[in-house]
Amino acid sequence: MDVSQYLEIFIDETKEHLQSLNTQILELEQDPENENTINEIFRAAHSLKGMAGTMGYKRMQTLTHDMENVFSEVRNGAIKVNSEMIDILFQCLDALDEYLTNIQQSADEGTNENEALIKALNEQMGAKGAAAKPAEKKEQSAASEGASDEAKKWLEIKLDDTQKSVIGKAASQGQNVYGINVVVHETCLLKAARAFLVFKAIEKYGEIIVSNPSAQDIEDEKFELEFSLIIVSASELAPILEAIKNVSEIDNAVGEKMDVSEYITEEPKPQETAVVESSGQVAVAEQAKPETAKAKEKKQGAVSKPVVNRTVRVDIEKLDVLMNLVSELIIAKNSLVSASGAEGGMGTAFNEQIEYLESVTTNLHESVMKVRMVPIESVVNKFPRMIRDLSKKLDKKMELYMTGEETELDRTVVDEIGDPLMHLLRNSADHGLESAEIRRQRGKSETGSIFLNAYQDGNNVVIEVGDDGNGIDTEAVKLKAIERGVITPEQAENMTEKDIVDLLFNAGFSTAKVVSDVSGRGVGLDVVKSKIESLSGEVEVKTKLGEGSTFIIRLPLTLAIIQALMVVVGGEKYAISLGSIQTLEDVPVSDIKLVQSKEVINLRENVIPLIRINEMLDIDSSKGPDENLMVVIVKKGDKLAGLVVDDLIGQQEIVIKSLGKYINKCKIISGATILGDGEVALILDTNAML
Amino acid sequence: MEELRDKEAFDTAQYIVIRLGDEKYGIDIRYVDNILRIQQITRVPKVAAYFKGVINLRGEVVPVMSVRVKMGLDEVEDTKDTRIIILKAEGIEKIGIIVDEVKEVVTLESTQVDRMAYDSKEEKSAFVTAVGKCSDDDLISLLDIHAVLAEQGV
Repeated sequence: MDVSQYLEIFIDETKEHLQSLNTQILELEQDPENENTINEIFRAAHSLKGMAGTMGYKRMQTLTHDMENVFSEVRNGAIKVNSEMIDILFQCLDALDEYLTNIQQSADEGTNENEALIKALNEQMGAKGAAAKPAEKKEQSAASEGASDEAKKWLEIKLDDTQKSVIGKAASQGQNVYGINVVVHETCLLKAARAFLVFKAIEKYGEIIVSNPSAQDIEDEKFELEFSLIIVSASELAPILEAIKNVSEIDNAVGEKMDVSEYITEEPKPQETAVVESSGQVAVAEQAKPETAKAKEKKQGAVSKPVVNRTVRVDIEKLDVLMNLVSELIIAKNSLVSASGAEGGMGTAFNEQIEYLESVTTNLHESVMKVRMVPIESVVNKFPRMIRDLSKKLDKKMELYMTGEETELDRTVVDEIGDPLMHLLRNSADHGLESAEIRRQRGKSETGSIFLNAYQDGNNVVIEVGDDGNGIDTEAVKLKAIERGVITPEQAENMTEKDIVDLLFNAGFSTAKVVSDVSGRGVGLDVVKSKIESLSGEVEVKTKLGEGSTFIIRLPLTLAIIQALMVVVGGEKYAISLGSIQTLEDVPVSDIKLVQSKEVINLRENVIPLIRINEMLDIDSSKGPDENLMVVIVKKGDKLAGLVVDDLIGQQEIVIKSLGKYINKCKIISGATILGDGEVALILDTNAML
Repeated sequence: MEELRDKEAFDTAQYIVIRLGDEKYGIDIRYVDNILRIQQITRVPKVAAYFKGVINLRGEVVPVMSVRVKMGLDEVEDTKDTRIIILKAEGIEKIGIIVDEVKEVVTLESTQVDRMAYDSKEEKSAFVTAVGKCSDDDLISLLDIHAVLAEQGV
């Protein structure tokens, strides 16, 4: 059967389960006795197995099955959690992750059987093989018990006249009419897919007349654990039921030949009275059981997990389309605003409406932005596991403290931010933290701490990654830089601490004395820096020798629509992001000084280099040489520069558009925007100028 | 009617006939997204000379190049006939090309198209794949859009 339409859901859900397994197993390592955690893990492993089975990923299913077995043992108290087991489980998760990656790329799980892992899992089980059997038996007996206690749910189906006539006709032709009730397994995730398979199986034998809930509702998964059908078939009932039960995750299927006259007189009956073989009391008991089980589950859920919000999964591309439409709307609104201004006022009513429109579009923009925002949680969740592995690998004791996982960023940024953060954390673990002995000598606790703090700061999100380790040894960096020929000894003399630390961001610079496979391969901070900058963010470092260092990443909340200052240079309009502007200054020509034959101005005790933008843009300034300069002071980190422009137009909300691949050669232009009058203006990338 | 249908069955292609200077060129209509009157073009600094800048195509920023400059012809002033043809196809980002005039649309059968040998002496010929013979004995050079849009060492 075709399951491809479920592939995306499968991938998403598998990711979630893997993440939850990772988190839970980490918790288990800390607290091996925690029953809630063990149950959570069991459930996640079980769901994974079921989903993999549905999708036909046999290897994945086998592996998760064995993991589930181990946990079933742990749950029964037959075996105890030990560190070796945790290691194996983590390896299993990695293997599952590998399957998932394969599936994502090619819809195929790949051919890695992971026999070694399965063997290791079974060995864990072997530690207590005897206890395994009774447990399994119990489960099975429970299942078979349930089989006999089904109500004749199909009797509740109300037939309309056409269906009645179809049944009557079929019966008169000697076909059998059966009512069938199918129960899906409690933990089944793709119920609709299961039901689909059941329908397929039945269609081999006969025709489905009617189902309850309706076929459409079943397809939309609008049913609980069971559904009932009325079918006509020339075949016996037994093979049909057998075929249904062969669909995996179908707990049970019961059926009965229906009395053909029945449908005419049938009235809905309460289900307790309509039991096939067993007594009514058993049925009631059976029904009560799932209820209590559910209640129990809920209680446990409340302890370990916050209540899940009601959510809708939306393809990011659809959101991009929505975002583009909002952008169009803002452009259209801007042109209305400029049109109303141009015609010398259209009356107050008109202006009021324009203002109303402005507030609506601004709100709309904010809402769409919010929809695109996701918590960085999805990215940082994998870090505790990574630090744990690093701790083992590097043989250093360390602990990761994270705050602000709920801080939200644009989805596109969140997707990109994972690698740089990972780099920084690895750096902290490998270079930052000292070995236990040195830490003891220095009077620090033997366990090093690494922290990751995220918070929102105005229109920016700040993520700090740091450690309480050695800090950056600026002397060592300086020597290394000289040795590598990055700077000359003379230059080194004049460098401030900060300049030296910035050297770390140079390509191919690594201070690790020993090259390890964790970090120190020469690709590192420069990659982090360029990645962050490509997201229009910035990185800075704070460090104190002996006390630790902190990398501070600053990212804009949004990339698509920004507030900008419009300026004129040589008759052309350009936009400068308001976020990077410090102040605007009117500077007399006489204030310009020359330092090393470069123009600078002295502004409130700061010497600021001037940049003649018109020269960078290959255009003549429209101002005379003696006129006062209009200078836009821009900042990048704590570097400042003054951009000389001809005139200011004003502040405006602009929509950033890409220039496309044909003309992206120009480094100082980061994009374009469409102004109210339809004209295209280019956006100056002040970061690239500094 | 019979005759018409027979004609359809032949391997035909439609071309937009444009003028650059005195010569006529054909552009496969499948590449043509839109034809616009000349409008305000925003200059982009530090790019190849044949890129005249970007325009606003219904809210989309689209780059515009001068085919004249690209083909090594002299630049001319815009006239009332000057048009921007927006090209689009699979594997090509939307781009506009400036032409002196758009004449007409012709349908050429495969028998009316002759492949042309590449003449390395003439810069223009790198962009022309074939010559089409119109019914009125007119010759049009058929442009190879991919070659026209290909990046050039600047």
